[in-house]
Order: sequence, then C-alpha cells, then structure tokens
Amino acid sequence: MSNTPLLRRGATLAAALMSASLVLTACGSDGDDTGDKAATAHSDKPAETRSVTAENGTVKVPAAPRRVVTIGNTGLPFIDLGGKPVGVTEASDSDLDVLPKEQRTAYEAAEIIGSSGGEVDLEKLAALKPDLILVQFSSKDWDKVGKRLEAIAPTVSWGLDTEWKAFADAIAEVGNVADALSRQKTAFKEKVAKIQATYGKIIDTTSFVDVSRGNWNDPGTFYIADIGCSEIARDDIGLDLPKAAEGKDPLAYASLPFEQIRGLSKYDVITYPVDADGVPTKPFKPVVETNTWKALPAVKSGRALGLFCPGNNSYGPVNRYLDSLDSALATLSGKQ
Amino acid sequence: MPRPRRRLLGLLVVLVVLAVLLMLSVMIGSTAIAPSVVWDALFHSSADTDQFAIRDFRLPRTVVGLVVGAALGLSGALIQALTRNPLADPGVLGVHAGASFAVTVAVGLLGVRDVQGYMWFAFAGALIVTLLVLAFGSTRQGSSPVVMVLAGVCVGAVLGGFREALQLTDPDAFDAMRNWNAGSIAGRPLEVVWPVLPFFAVALVLAFVVSGPLNALALGDELAVAQGVRLVRTRVLAVIALTLLAGGATAIAGPIGFVGLMVPHVARWIVGPDQRWIFAYSALLAPSLLLVSDILGRVVTRPGEIPVGIVTAFVGAPVLVALVRRKKSSGL
Repeated sequence: MSNTPLLRRGATLAAALMSASLVLTACGSDGDDTGDKAATAHSDKPAETRSVTAENGTVKVPAAPRRVVTIGNTGLPFIDLGGKPVGVTEASDSDLDVLPKEQRTAYEAAEIIGSSGGEVDLEKLAALKPDLILVQFSSKDWDKVGKRLEAIAPTVSWGLDTEWKAFADAIAEVGNVADALSRQKTAFKEKVAKIQATYGKIIDTTSFVDVSRGNWNDPGTFYIADIGCSEIARDDIGLDLPKAAEGKDPLAYASLPFEQIRGLSKYDVITYPVDADGVPTKPFKPVVETNTWKALPAVKSGRALGLFCPGNNSYGPVNRYLDSLDSALATLSGKQ
Repeated sequence: MPRPRRRLLGLLVVLVVLAVLLMLSVMIGSTAIAPSVVWDALFHSSADTDQFAIRDFRLPRTVVGLVVGAALGLSGALIQALTRNPLADPGVLGVHAGASFAVTVAVGLLGVRDVQGYMWFAFAGALIVTLLVLAFGSTRQGSSPVVMVLAGVCVGAVLGGFREALQLTDPDAFDAMRNWNAGSIAGRPLEVVWPVLPFFAVALVLAFVVSGPLNALALGDELAVAQGVRLVRTRVLAVIALTLLAGGATAIAGPIGFVGLMVPHVARWIVGPDQRWIFAYSALLAPSLLLVSDILGRVVTRPGEIPVGIVTAFVGAPVLVALVRRKKSSGL
C-alpha cells in the first residue's frame, strides 16, 4: 500500500534525472481523451506526435494517445490523473482496496496483461494494439522485456528511483492528462500551506517517528519509515522525522526486531499506518498488540497517531494522506 | 572411568552448556538491556518497556529455540537410525516439502498470514505427506527404508513443483513464503508452542520405546528379527515419532536445515552407537546449536537480524563437510 516505496530510492538524484529526462517537443495536440472510448472515435488522419526523452532515450509518442497500456507502477498514477488505460499490470489488493470508486472502475475496465513488470504477457499486450506504453519497473525487468515492448508500441520508461512529483509531471505530459495534474497540484500546495500555518508550533518543537510494517516483513519485525508518505511529511511539511545518513540506505530497508519498539520511547510523537477507517493496517496490527508498544510514553499519552497513506506515487493519494495528517495533528493541539 | 559414567557426566556438561545458552539467549539481543533489567523482568516484573521486551520477545524466543531445537535433534537421530543413513534428515521423508506446500496453500489460496494460522497447515502437511510416503514406501515384504526415502524424495519433488507454481502466480504468497522458508524462531509467541507440546510428548515416549529395537536394527534386519524385534512396528512407530517432532518444529519455525543432520553425528562421536544415549544427547545438543546460531544472528547485523535457519546453514555446512571428510566417519 502506501509504504511499498521500498522499491524507490534516491529521490534527489531522480528529481535531477527526471527534470532532464522529459524534454517534450510538442507538435500539437488533437484532443485530451484517452482509452477505449477515444479509440472508437479516431480519425484517418495520421496521429500527431511529439518526442519525449525518458530513461530509455528519446521516444516519439502520439500527442493524444488513445490506447495506453500501463506496466509496473505507472498504472495507478495514470488512472489517478483521469487516464483510462486499455491494459494494466496487476495492482496489489492493498492498493486496490484504497482506490476511489471511479478509479477502481477504470482499473477494472482495463485488460490485465501481467502480474508484474517483468511478467507481462506480450501476446496479450500486442493484441490490445496500444499506441503508447508507460513503464516503471526495475532495470532488470527492463532488460528482460524493454526491447520487445518498444517493438509493439512507443514505450516510455522510468526507473524506480524517479521522484514522485517529477514522475506525476511526466505521466501527465506523456499521457496527455495534464489538466487533472494541475488541479491536484494546486490542492497539494494549499493543503501543505494550511498544515504548516495551523500546526507551525507543533512542527517546530516536536520530534516525530513514523513506523510501519508490511506483508513482506518477517514475523516479529517492523521498520522505521523514512520514505514514501513519511518523506512527504518530512520534506514538504517539515516534520522532524528520522532520516538515513547521506549515502546510506533508507531506514525503511532495515527490518527491526520487535524488541526495538522500546527505542521509540525517545520520540514525542509516533505515527503508524491505518486503513481508511482509522484501524491499524493488518500487517501493523501485531505491533500495536505488543505490551512494549502499549507501554511507550507516546502511546500512553495519546501521541501515537494513525495516518492513512493510500499511496505516494501521485498527487491524488498524497492529498488524501495530507488530509489524514491534518486530522491527526489536530488531536495534538490540545495536548501541547 | 567406566563408559556409562563418562556418558552421564558428558550429559550433565551438555545440560550445563544448554542452561548457560538459555541465559545468554535472554540476556543478548539486538539492543543492549542491562542484566539487572533482565533479572527484574524475570523476577520483579513491572510495566516497563525494557521489561516487556524481555518477557514478550526474548523469553518466548528462547523457549521456542529450546523446544524446536530438541525436536529437530531427536527427529534427526530417529531418521538416521531408521534409515541407517548418516546423511538422512527428516526432510528426506517429505516433512519439509509437505509443510511448505501446506503453508503455501494456506497463504496463497486461503489468505492466512500469521504464524498461529499457518502453523497448523504446516503440521498437517508434514503429517499427511509422511503418511503418504510411508504408504508408498511399504511393499508386500514390509517397509523398506530405502524405498521410503525414494518415495519421500519423489513426493517432495512433486509438491515442490506445485508449491513453486503457486508462489509464482501469487507475489504476496511468495513474499510470505520467503520469510517462512528461511526458518526463524523470532516473532513466535509462546502460544505457538503450547499446542504442539502434547505431540512432542507422545513422540518422546515413542522414541524411548523404539530406541532399544533401533539398536538391534543397526545390526541388520535378520539379526534384529532374531533378537525379537518387530520390524514393521518399530519402523512405523519411529516414523510417527520423527514426523510429529519434525512436523511440529517445522510448523513453528519453518524448515531449519542441518540441525537434524549434524547434531546426531556429534552425539554419536561422543557416546558411540547406543541410540538411547544418542537420542538424549541429540535432544540437548540441538537446542544448544540452535540457540548459539540464533544469538549470533541477533548480533552480527545489528540492528537487524539474520534468521536462525540461515545461520545454522552457515555453521552446519562446513561442519558437515568436515564430517564426511573424516576418515573415521561415524557409523550407525
């Protein structure tokens, strides 16, 4: 779910890479529709194209793509921007569970072409006759199928280390869904400004730690989240959250045994993952059930805050996360 | 000193070593906690985070290590005696394959995610598959260890194929199985141990019952029969005992290799070919090895940990190589 960003690292480097990577040379646009619906209304005129430069080089793509296939992490961000892909690789149940209804409908309307990036059914993909393929997965997966994807349709690929804002910008431009992006970005800026203005004192004087646990963690282990939504709280909002030393792997990469829950007692406020109903997520439940957790000063004083993070790869879910953070910080106001 | 007294003295030494390791397992962890806090946690409890860390995590883990280790050691000794093969471990009868397959089904198809949930699947899988192997390995002339081992390898291969197919189609199951397959005693609450203990108790009694007949079997089937040993009964009881032990241990901790293979060898060097002593030593030496490995796994990659199944493989593999290269390899 929100904390799958374990797959993404080096955000700073990626931001620089992305700003250089997406050089759009627009030759015009013939509409802003995408997906099957649009595909039925195409004209006989040769589609206008433009060149984009991404991780796999400079690619000539349709200015207004109609049959978009998304592979790897590009699916949900594209749908979040109003895109309607004709084919997608499977999203995890935890991601689908928190998807807004209309986005879920768009996802379900698309053909599933594989379980993950490297496991794409190329025959099925080719049968969809895509005019654009959007890809984000590991370089290993790209080496495996990249060339074959490019043989099917114009393919734009981003690495897993792409910073989320740059990624959203790039998807919006290439997928021709920039209007929605603009609205989402405005909302994001407003929410950040509101939180900073309302909880300025708390932000300045409180030490936070964000902890989490995923399905992939060994039994009896958790991790300190310093990437994903936590990164947004730290870098955009300004919360005092732990961060890995320069040049080191993110803290989130280390599974910590439960006995290290006791080390959380040094923080004023602990944040942890909850679902849309405010209940600790299933993987995290074993943590809150331990006596060590219950005995933490922050927990006993009501300063353990559940945060809902439906995703961190595009503005829609991030804005929902900021709403959750806003509500959580509001509960601290009376406790200062 | 007469041999029985030497063996008894040795057993006491092993017992003391185990007791020391049990203490160290509670004292040493991925974070430093003062010995006084450990003492208070055990004998003067209060609602303190450090004390909870001892009582809720280190203590259960130590108990799990003790129980799982003893079960693995004894089951290894049983299978080596039964098959008269010093390189046999419970895995050759399909115990691990059965448990792994059942856990994959539980995780992948039924959505079971916690240890308490899938341990029963692992246990049932181990038992069912071993019974199958026993049935396949029985001929009109009776049950032959060689045929049983072959049947175990075949059933294991088939189930392994199904398991991998299931895991490849379900990334979540693959993730969950990745952890389970490593073999670990971390994060297991005491609640996973209590239900398995009655099965271990039954297995312990069975092991005691068959230890004498297995001594006779080491001389060959004909001589054993001549001494009044009932071959089929002895083998069936031994298989039931080792399946309960290895199945229960695997259900709790996942497949942990080398313990059941290596420890009976060491026991045999110390006490000679008498199965009764080998069983007793194996049941005490194996938890010692498991606890040492677990303690190492907690400290070498601080603040993270290495699952005990990986450390036992590191420790066990070189020792196994040394064993098989020995001129006077331990016979059975």
